[in-house]
Amino acid sequence: MAKMLMIHADKCTGCRNCELACSMSHEGAFRLQATSVHVYTWEREGFSVPMMCQQCNDAPCIKVCTPNALTRDAVTGLVNLDHAKCIGCKMCVQACPFGNAVWDEVANKIHKCDTCGGDPQCAKFCPSHALEWVDDTVATRDRKRAFASKFKDAFSE
Amino acid sequence: MNGWIGTFLRIDLTTGKISTQPLDADLARDYIGARGLGTKFLFDEVDPTVDALSPANKLIFAPGPFTGTYAPSGGRYNVVTKGPLTGAIAAANSGGTWGPALKYAGFDAVIFEGKAPKPVYVWIKDQQVEIRDASHLWGKTVPETSDGIRAETDEDAHVACIGPAGENQVLFACIMNDLHRAAGRSGVGAVMGSKNLKAVAVIGTGAVTCANKDRFEQVVMKVRAIIQQHPIGGTGLRLYGTDVLTNVLNEIGAHPTKNFHDGYYPTADKIGGESLTAKVLQRPKGCFACIISCGRVSKVTNPKFKGQGEGPEYETAWGFGSSCLIDDLDAVTKANYICNEYGMDTITMGSTVACAMELYDIGAITKEDTGGIALEWGNAEAMVEMTRLTAIGVGFGKKLALGSYRLGELYGHPEFSMTVKKQEIPAYDPRAIQGIGLNYATVNCGAAHVRGYTIQPEVLGVPAKVDKDTIEGKPELVIKYQNLTAALDAAGACLFTTFGIGAEELAELLSAVTGVEYSTDDFMKCGDRIWNLERLWNLRAGLSAKDDMLPERLLKLPIKTGPSKGSVNRLPEMLPIYYERRGWDASGVPTDARLRELGLA
Amino acid sequence: MVVSYFGMLRDIAGRKEEDWEQPAATVGELLHRVVAEYGPQFGRWVLDNGDLLNLAIVLVNGRDVRGLQRLATPLKPTDNVTLFPPVAGG
Repeated sequence: MAKMLMIHADKCTGCRNCELACSMSHEGAFRLQATSVHVYTWEREGFSVPMMCQQCNDAPCIKVCTPNALTRDAVTGLVNLDHAKCIGCKMCVQACPFGNAVWDEVANKIHKCDTCGGDPQCAKFCPSHALEWVDDTVATRDRKRAFASKFKDAFSE
Repeated sequence: MNGWIGTFLRIDLTTGKISTQPLDADLARDYIGARGLGTKFLFDEVDPTVDALSPANKLIFAPGPFTGTYAPSGGRYNVVTKGPLTGAIAAANSGGTWGPALKYAGFDAVIFEGKAPKPVYVWIKDQQVEIRDASHLWGKTVPETSDGIRAETDEDAHVACIGPAGENQVLFACIMNDLHRAAGRSGVGAVMGSKNLKAVAVIGTGAVTCANKDRFEQVVMKVRAIIQQHPIGGTGLRLYGTDVLTNVLNEIGAHPTKNFHDGYYPTADKIGGESLTAKVLQRPKGCFACIISCGRVSKVTNPKFKGQGEGPEYETAWGFGSSCLIDDLDAVTKANYICNEYGMDTITMGSTVACAMELYDIGAITKEDTGGIALEWGNAEAMVEMTRLTAIGVGFGKKLALGSYRLGELYGHPEFSMTVKKQEIPAYDPRAIQGIGLNYATVNCGAAHVRGYTIQPEVLGVPAKVDKDTIEGKPELVIKYQNLTAALDAAGACLFTTFGIGAEELAELLSAVTGVEYSTDDFMKCGDRIWNLERLWNLRAGLSAKDDMLPERLLKLPIKTGPSKGSVNRLPEMLPIYYERRGWDASGVPTDARLRELGLA
Repeated sequence: MVVSYFGMLRDIAGRKEEDWEQPAATVGELLHRVVAEYGPQFGRWVLDNGDLLNLAIVLVNGRDVRGLQRLATPLKPTDNVTLFPPVAGG
């Protein structure tokens, strides 16, 4: 059973602790262009959404990567990026339908979530549980259950 | 440098000259940043007797060494200038994400001088700084301005701007950033407007570095755990926001009611945090690097007061609510939105409306003055309309734009203005809470609560409960809080981290990120130094011991009803002890010995 | 004896206030009864190992019991008791 980073956008407060933790743990400094997780905030509505690589099963980025820098790990289920093999062609940036592969022109590299080797710092630093590192089955169950209970409440009157 | 960037920007709006200067390491060490650094620049460069709205005043934006790191809830910045409302030093503090953006762009501060010949905004994109025409933005609200600037710069640009209130020099106009966060008090927005500066937009791709990464991470994790396990910092503020205080203060009879006629409002619950959460709250919001999330994303659907935004905070709910004998949450929230959109301080606005209601009540102003509006106690529509008129500078709004002190004087009743140094007193009745009264009287920026928040021990019991009605030990307590807060503000931290941590942890965080070792005493001494520097500047501006006062009403008129009935504030007994403990002479002037000790002589 | 609830205590108790018909002799006695009624999820915000939780605000007729005799503070049948969980603001 693989794990996934579950995004609960309704709990996101827009604080950016995830971005800060990501950049510090990977780059050793606080530089928000150097993160693999990005938070989008709509200030008027006060709604924020963190976004990072979804480690797709059938990843378009892997398909377009000619040096095979991007590969799929059958055991962890992650899409791994080997920076040593990366030629910086940015085809992955073109291919990712979610925009989750990001080119950093300062460091000359691609940033893509690597789940910090199975201990994602973003989830650890998130103060409101908007990011959760969970088994990929339990993750959907909680949300499903929450909505199912609305049916229960509606029908039990 | 670590934590700090090591560079600041200087922009002369008169000539258009833009220059960068290195940040002196000793200066950074002694004043830390933000409020401290801004105060030092103001002290060194601005004649305290200048007119606050003249080109001779300077406007300084400064984040701290924490800002841009993951120091918990450490993403703040300050705006320091001479306040037009008070004629004293002004240091307004704000959160959001603007402060970190300035650090990522590569600056510890930006000093604005002079006055632009026409409306302008400044666009900072990393090291590329431009002064751009803002005539097409002049007159626009805060949201319209942010949208307009983002459309012509970068959709992710962080915008700090004034609304029409700052342009029209409402004496309590504020600077808004990220739409909903305010550098609120003393009229810093009017100073910005007087310089024809509409906005400062920033985007930064640089880094903020840390001297000792492992040590910093360790201290950060420790501090996070302390704050998150603290029932207030970890839970209470996220669930109910600051407005949870409405009922707390009301139930002990310390909730100023009807322009401080009383300390208890029977229907206060309708505008308290519990009602806010039930009726208008959508979700909590956090500033940059925040772990507390006290922000309230809210929405009013009632067509009479329809709107959307953030807030209200406790002070706002009180100012537009209990102070005016209004218990309509929708109306209070709407007035809050108007202030955010047009850029005005909610405490001064609410308290000024209350003062106007009192003047109307005795017939000192009439419908002729108010343009036909019955400005009676409890009239929610009138309160919202008055706020709107002040925001757009129309009719009686032009008089309200002066603040309650000048309004009261204008109509022959200055005693109706609940102010210290012409700035409106916030939502804690000093007759029922002795220490906060001493704080109001002595804060250098004018009456303010956050500069020496003794409500923590006196009411909440953080870290331990202190008797609110005694005066014993209060001067020492107030001094401790004032010094701690000055250093905390200078670091870029949020006051609410003190629901959990104190000087010791803050000093540890600061040492780890900057690489400069601060003991707890060093940290507190920086705060003491900043406080005394503010005081010296004020004295040169013409303020003196007579300005360390409270309105007669709070010294002579006892609270009428509720659990604190019969109390008055005993400032005259506490003030001499305060001066002595501060190491000042009997007239409140810092002695040479004291100044030498702080490196200020 | 009217007992009022604020903050999350309201949500847990499901009410803003109630008339406690069986008067208690002390604050401690009252709190233990209230906690017995509403359970540990209520209790954790007012009690700490049987003692008063330091940051909870318990008022008797508007006066903070931390300045009186804490849980030993005596009560009269006509007293108003107000309960706040740890809260804050600015």
